[in-house]
Amino acid sequence: MTLSKWFMAVGAVLIGLSACGPLNEGSTASQLGGLVMGRVTGAEAQPVSGSSVPQDQILSNPGKYIRVNIRDLNRWDTSVQAGSNANRATWVDSANISVTFENGIVVATRGLVRDLMAADVSQSWAAIRSGGGEAQRVHEFLTNMDGISTELLQCRIASQGREVVERLQIKQNTTRFEEKCGNENLQFANVYWVNDAGTIIRSLQAISPDAGYLQIDIF
Amino acid sequence: MPKGICLVSSVATAIATGAIGQEVTATYSLYGTPGLLEMPTAQTAPENALAATFSYTEGLGQVTLTFQVNQRLSASFRYANVELFNDPPESGTEREVERGFDLQYRFNNETTYVPAIAVGLRDFLTPGRFQSEYVVASKSFGDNLIVTTGIGWGAMGTRDGFANPLGGDFEVRPAPDLPGGQLGSDQWFRGDAAMFGGVEYQINDRWGVKAEYSTIDYTETAFGVVRETESPVNYGLTYRPRPGVQLGLSYLYGTQLGVSGSFELNPNARATGSGLDKSPPPVKVRPADSLAAESWDRTALPDRALRRALAGLLEIENITLTGLELTNTTARVRYINSSFRSEAQAAGRTARMMTQVMPPSIDAFILEPERRGIPISAITISRRDIEQLENRAGGTAAMLDRSGFGDAGGSQGLDAVASDESAFSWGLGPYFRINPFSNDGSVDVDLGLSLRGVYRIRPNLVLSGAIEQSVVPPEDDPTGVERTPDIQNVRSDGSLYGNDGVPVLANLTLNHFSRPGTNLYGRVSVGYLERMFGGVSGELLWKPVESSFGLGIEVNQVAQRDTDMGLGFDEYDYDVTTGHVSAYYDLGNGYHTQLDVGRYLAGDWGATISVDREFDNGWVIGAYVTQTDMSYEDFGSGSYNKGVQVTIPQDFFTGTPTRGSYGNTFRTRVGDGGARLQVDGRLYDVVREGHLPDLSDTWGRFWR
Repeated sequence: MTLSKWFMAVGAVLIGLSACGPLNEGSTASQLGGLVMGRVTGAEAQPVSGSSVPQDQILSNPGKYIRVNIRDLNRWDTSVQAGSNANRATWVDSANISVTFENGIVVATRGLVRDLMAADVSQSWAAIRSGGGEAQRVHEFLTNMDGISTELLQCRIASQGREVVERLQIKQNTTRFEEKCGNENLQFANVYWVNDAGTIIRSLQAISPDAGYLQIDIF
Repeated sequence: MPKGICLVSSVATAIATGAIGQEVTATYSLYGTPGLLEMPTAQTAPENALAATFSYTEGLGQVTLTFQVNQRLSASFRYANVELFNDPPESGTEREVERGFDLQYRFNNETTYVPAIAVGLRDFLTPGRFQSEYVVASKSFGDNLIVTTGIGWGAMGTRDGFANPLGGDFEVRPAPDLPGGQLGSDQWFRGDAAMFGGVEYQINDRWGVKAEYSTIDYTETAFGVVRETESPVNYGLTYRPRPGVQLGLSYLYGTQLGVSGSFELNPNARATGSGLDKSPPPVKVRPADSLAAESWDRTALPDRALRRALAGLLEIENITLTGLELTNTTARVRYINSSFRSEAQAAGRTARMMTQVMPPSIDAFILEPERRGIPISAITISRRDIEQLENRAGGTAAMLDRSGFGDAGGSQGLDAVASDESAFSWGLGPYFRINPFSNDGSVDVDLGLSLRGVYRIRPNLVLSGAIEQSVVPPEDDPTGVERTPDIQNVRSDGSLYGNDGVPVLANLTLNHFSRPGTNLYGRVSVGYLERMFGGVSGELLWKPVESSFGLGIEVNQVAQRDTDMGLGFDEYDYDVTTGHVSAYYDLGNGYHTQLDVGRYLAGDWGATISVDREFDNGWVIGAYVTQTDMSYEDFGSGSYNKGVQVTIPQDFFTGTPTRGSYGNTFRTRVGDGGARLQVDGRLYDVVREGHLPDLSDTWGRFWR
């Protein structure tokens, strides 16, 4: 094969950008086109930041909104409740990323690079309610091979004293708890701010090694 | 404040990889295998790594694909464009394209005092211009220095060789007397041996240097590689700008420079993690007071309204509802998944959408994925399980245990959902094809535009075709020699097809798919089935949904098309009846095999066996070999059909849902023996993704 033919082969990729028609939707050519354009315009790298819900609306509708800051993406957004199942509620944001909570503790995410597929956090919540203590967690992740990886984690929850949390110019007295969890594979530390009514109003919770931490404000 | 989520040990990578990785600093040689420059080392690449290495030195260009099958075994396939001495060598030189295979097995892991030791075969098929066998040991000292020494036979035993220490019959290496492309095992580890060695020092994460004493001599012998050598010592510099990329510069034989580049992918390391799929809707749980309902008011909520609502919801997921049957307690849906590589994920998304709209009395969902207009399985799910297991630890495994898998039901009772889409669709895009010349071993590319059209007469009866216009047409076989005069040129004339510079009819086929019985699938294809043949193809497959085993039979009556790729069959006046009995077996642990026994296009009888390493995330790396009753002389160089195939799903790179994939088959040579009809829609590949073995592989995505 001549050198010019090799250049032609590279040209095939460029021709791919012009692929059109219903049969080519989702084709290699159109996917490559999207990727290339994303790189050129930087569209895919831009963090989405900001809330589409005004502050007044959040404050005047307690229990209707939460804010989730995906720290690894430098992105935060307002989420609304999309469903509930027993004692768990799923909240979804404008980018269709969802977080499911049980008593304010994350038990699942969808739409992140490495989702927490499921979790059992009941002992963690019981320890918080008791002012601290030991807990055992179960976390499940989706592997690169489309299987489920289960991590059994030993956790210690301790109160770190009183702390005033200010959100949207509103101050609240809270008790701060830190939960340190680990096993032979993973180690992380979550932080919870619990108001005097016993509700987690702010937290910093680990999702997975790839997805990092979420900072969650519950209004 | 937490700083991050720590991975405590390498075991933690199991979350990301699903496998325990090996800390490896091996670099790739000019031959595309872990090694020094020309000489191998006992190091291995990360498990399951697939590396493409391009290298060039004066008179020798190589492209090598190396797959680290497991932690110990690696296999390589190589194209080499090499300048060889003629026979006799005084008569000059000639360029040839050579294909070759390598294998290497590492016996042990390196310990504090014991080096890693490996045995290998390089270019082990005849004629094997680089054919060598070796035993090599590598020992690291500290984190950066690796010392290697080994003993080589064959090409690696041609410089400073000594009498074979194995003695006896091994002292003489016989001249190859087999046709090309066969195992030259009677030569392995025979003849003179020589000791080689080298060192490699990794300066930092990116830069490394290496030096070796090569025992490959380049004397002026018949079919010897043309090389000007002044020194057996070679030097190299490696640069790894990012993980998976290695660039190399080398100074060889005291006379010339060489360059190389290695690009490594690993199915265990998906850059997009578990994917960037958008969140599915959460399960809508029925109110507790509605669970006792035994039916619903069909006047207030007619079936038609439910169909419309569910179709709209599934459309969000790019899933097309094609049929719905409702009883008081069950809902049976038939759907086409156009979005997700994993049918398990499509099933999970469909089930969650059903919870949004189905009346509370419906307690069971029967999901029937459809392909090519026929249902390929039925997945029966309890609605209570969906409600109870969502986001629950252990919920994925429990969902698989509690779901039922079986053959899809019939069409009776199923209300078809009219498609909003036009029966006709089209697409214009590029095509890129590698054209192997007959038997001289060279390859050429064909690049152009393809206009495709599909008309769905019925869901299972589809007329489709493609017209191609080559922009860079393939060249004629430069040899002009018919190397198999006694055999019909069923493939060796491939370069003559569609090279006139005018639009050609690549294919025009009417395909009909059917379900003739329980666990049975049927296909009939009529028309211009492929570029070189047209006719009729019929296939019947028996494949129980829960079984790892399938059995199929295919019969084709085809004629060879004219090289202008118009409508005619006159140029060759050749028709043939071909067909195969095929057995398919999922061996488990990621291995899959297929055996086809029957008659091929040239009228030869034989069998093809293929073994694939199939990764659950869609990667497939496999090899096949075909042996027929055609003589080696008639087949020509290469002796029989064999090759390597690689398929990588698109979502591995993009992270977003798509059913597309990148794939190619790398053949040694394309001869007329062992040539099989290329027909679209072979049944096993159509149905298998909806069956339990494949569903289980990706069941982790059910809740994704």
